[in-house]
Amino acid sequence: MRYVVLSLLMIVGLPTLSSAGYQEDFAREFLSKTWAGERIEENACIDCHSSDQMKPEFREITDDWKKSWHAQNNISCQDCHGGDPKDPSLSMTHQRGFVGTPSAREIPQFCGKCHIGILKNYLESGHGKALRATGKGPHCAVCHGSHNIQRATIDIINEQRCSKCHTYERAKVMKQALFLVEKRAEDIEDGLKALRRAGIYPADQERALYNTLVEFRTLFHTVDVKLVNERTGEFTLKMGAIENNIQETLDELRTHRDFSAFLMSLFGGMGILFFLLSRTPKQ
Amino acid sequence: MKRRSFLKAALAFLGATTAASFVYPLFRFLVPPPRQKKVNSLVIAKRDVPLGDAKEIVFGGIPAIVVNRPGKGLIALSRVCTHLGCLVQYDQENKRLLCPCHAGVYDLEGNIVSGPPPKPLTKLPLKVEGETIVIG
Amino acid sequence: MWERLTNWLEVRIGVDDLVRSQVTEYRVPKNINIFYTLGFVAAVGYLIQVVTGILLLVYYVPHPDHAFRSVQDIMVKVPFGWLFRQMHVMGSNLMIAAILLHMLTVFAMGNYKRPRELTWIGGALLLFVAIAFGFSGYLLPWTQLSYWATTVVTSIPTAVPVVGDFVARLLRGGDQVTGATLSRFFAFHVSILPPLFLILAGVHLFLIKRIGISATPFGLPAEEKRPWTEYHKKSHADGYPYYPRFFQMDMLMVMVYLAVMFLLITFLPNLFFPPDATIPANPLKTPATIRPEWYLLAPYQLLKIIPNKFLGILIQIVLFLLFLFWPFFDTEKEKNIMNRPMLRVLFIFGFILWLILMYWGRS
Repeated sequence: MRYVVLSLLMIVGLPTLSSAGYQEDFAREFLSKTWAGERIEENACIDCHSSDQMKPEFREITDDWKKSWHAQNNISCQDCHGGDPKDPSLSMTHQRGFVGTPSAREIPQFCGKCHIGILKNYLESGHGKALRATGKGPHCAVCHGSHNIQRATIDIINEQRCSKCHTYERAKVMKQALFLVEKRAEDIEDGLKALRRAGIYPADQERALYNTLVEFRTLFHTVDVKLVNERTGEFTLKMGAIENNIQETLDELRTHRDFSAFLMSLFGGMGILFFLLSRTPKQ
Repeated sequence: MKRRSFLKAALAFLGATTAASFVYPLFRFLVPPPRQKKVNSLVIAKRDVPLGDAKEIVFGGIPAIVVNRPGKGLIALSRVCTHLGCLVQYDQENKRLLCPCHAGVYDLEGNIVSGPPPKPLTKLPLKVEGETIVIG
Repeated sequence: MWERLTNWLEVRIGVDDLVRSQVTEYRVPKNINIFYTLGFVAAVGYLIQVVTGILLLVYYVPHPDHAFRSVQDIMVKVPFGWLFRQMHVMGSNLMIAAILLHMLTVFAMGNYKRPRELTWIGGALLLFVAIAFGFSGYLLPWTQLSYWATTVVTSIPTAVPVVGDFVARLLRGGDQVTGATLSRFFAFHVSILPPLFLILAGVHLFLIKRIGISATPFGLPAEEKRPWTEYHKKSHADGYPYYPRFFQMDMLMVMVYLAVMFLLITFLPNLFFPPDATIPANPLKTPATIRPEWYLLAPYQLLKIIPNKFLGILIQIVLFLLFLFWPFFDTEKEKNIMNRPMLRVLFIFGFILWLILMYWGRS
């Protein structure tokens, strides 16, 4: 009995003693961290803007945003507009860096806070120059919308939208130049979906595709058909590599299946043999 | 009796096949991957990276950058942004590395300054040997 | 050489006698049926879990930053890692299914009755340990599915007044499911539950050996109805020897178990990997549907439909105690469920209710 008590004391006591100094760090770093950023439970912007006192067009903003690609990636009001979502009284003051509706001229910088690569190419493009010259050219929101912003697709280029300012002919040529790479990207997306269905999280391939597409789309914002055509080959090559990678993984899955089927038939066979054996009298 | 011994022999055969079908995977499972072909260390001349400047390289398939920081010496960092994998660029004016996709900003140690990246940039081993810089 | 070795062993531990008493002359009842093998099947199932589990430990990293990635690597990069993980995942579910089926048939044949009350309690506890294994193992891959299912299930105790919050915190190791939860679930899964399971299984097995295998109630008179005043072992002197007859039945069912396991791995590899199981855990994004494993669906749904959470938990506790101590509530001597219309109705009603709740809980 004495030994039991003694050994229990040692088992419980020693780790407690040795970890005494570590406790605080442990509690701070380990116990309370949620491992994926800060949880914001209350958001003053959304609370007010979705309340009944708001004008309907202001209320729509939160609904639009909730449907957006930004919302799906945890990009919230303050990430674009500044301000402080935790403090309702000061949330929309300039001290807290709040920016309301940017003017057309300000919009590229407004979006370019994050999308800096695209901003650069846009500013050099005909679109960007037109905006600077006239102050009411095609800024980001003209094509991408403002709050309900979706993942960019090739469908953004269409006759209705482009012919608001100029003829569609040149835009059509641009769309054709883009088509090959975009189509390929769609195929890869399908491949990625197939991998996901097979229980694989294709992080590497997804990143590779993202990277390639972003570079391509950044390039596209120069609206320079010649440049896009020149570099399409480079992008299709990169996409081909991703496609191969996906195909290899899918082939690998097929060999898994075959091996598992082989084991299944072995066990099934042994089951049948045991059954027959139990039906065979010993004489 | 004949049938019995046949069944037993068949069972022994299938059993052995099954055992082998598990021993082989077990062996493959436990054996570490073959030694990676040693990524040849990359040698660049010191004068290619003047003070305050940077040079983009590709090391073992990974796009990387060598920065000559005034007062802090040379450093080699992976250029792959830890957010979504775009390639960061050296911003000489502000002494930082900037990701063009979502404005992730890293300092010249590879630490996160601002933006969405979850982790610092990967450091690559770097040695200065006389007039050359050896990476790897 | 072989003879010398067996002789060496024979002299020291008496192998011949051991084989004779435990295998070739160990007798099982004459009217034994295929369901008697299910306990053995469950034991083999557990053995498979142990072996594959140890193999997974070689590559798994129990840290929130690495757990998901390491499991993905086991599935994709490590040669045959997929095989052992799939066996472990399918096995965990099949083993619980085997235990459930075992208990169901024992119940239907009334074999939990005197003198085997303790054997039943041991078996019921084994089922709960197996479920605890499943529940703790569910979190380890650190996917959206596992993270949120764990969040939901660990919040269930909060409905209990006074101690509820503490119990929930104790389970999670904090206020939320965090790295601390992963650590303790991992410890629970690989080092606390296994010895617990082995001890219970040892007791279960000891009781079976000590009391003797019970005959089926079909066509044979039930055990004596007079009061039980002294221990006596049921040895079935007129029964079949365990080897080869019953051994072949055991092996046949083990092969069926394994064949079903690989049938699922071949044709339904994603049976237990819904889309949320291939996304790393994200504490900021709640998935549209959260649901626990299939064997927890019925209690989960029962909790959902009872408006008062505490009442819901109370009912579960009462049901649990009723299930655990059932041999003491059912004092009728008749073993055969076919001769007991009331029990039969109760049994069928309970089983169908369980199925309905399970199906309902899916959506």
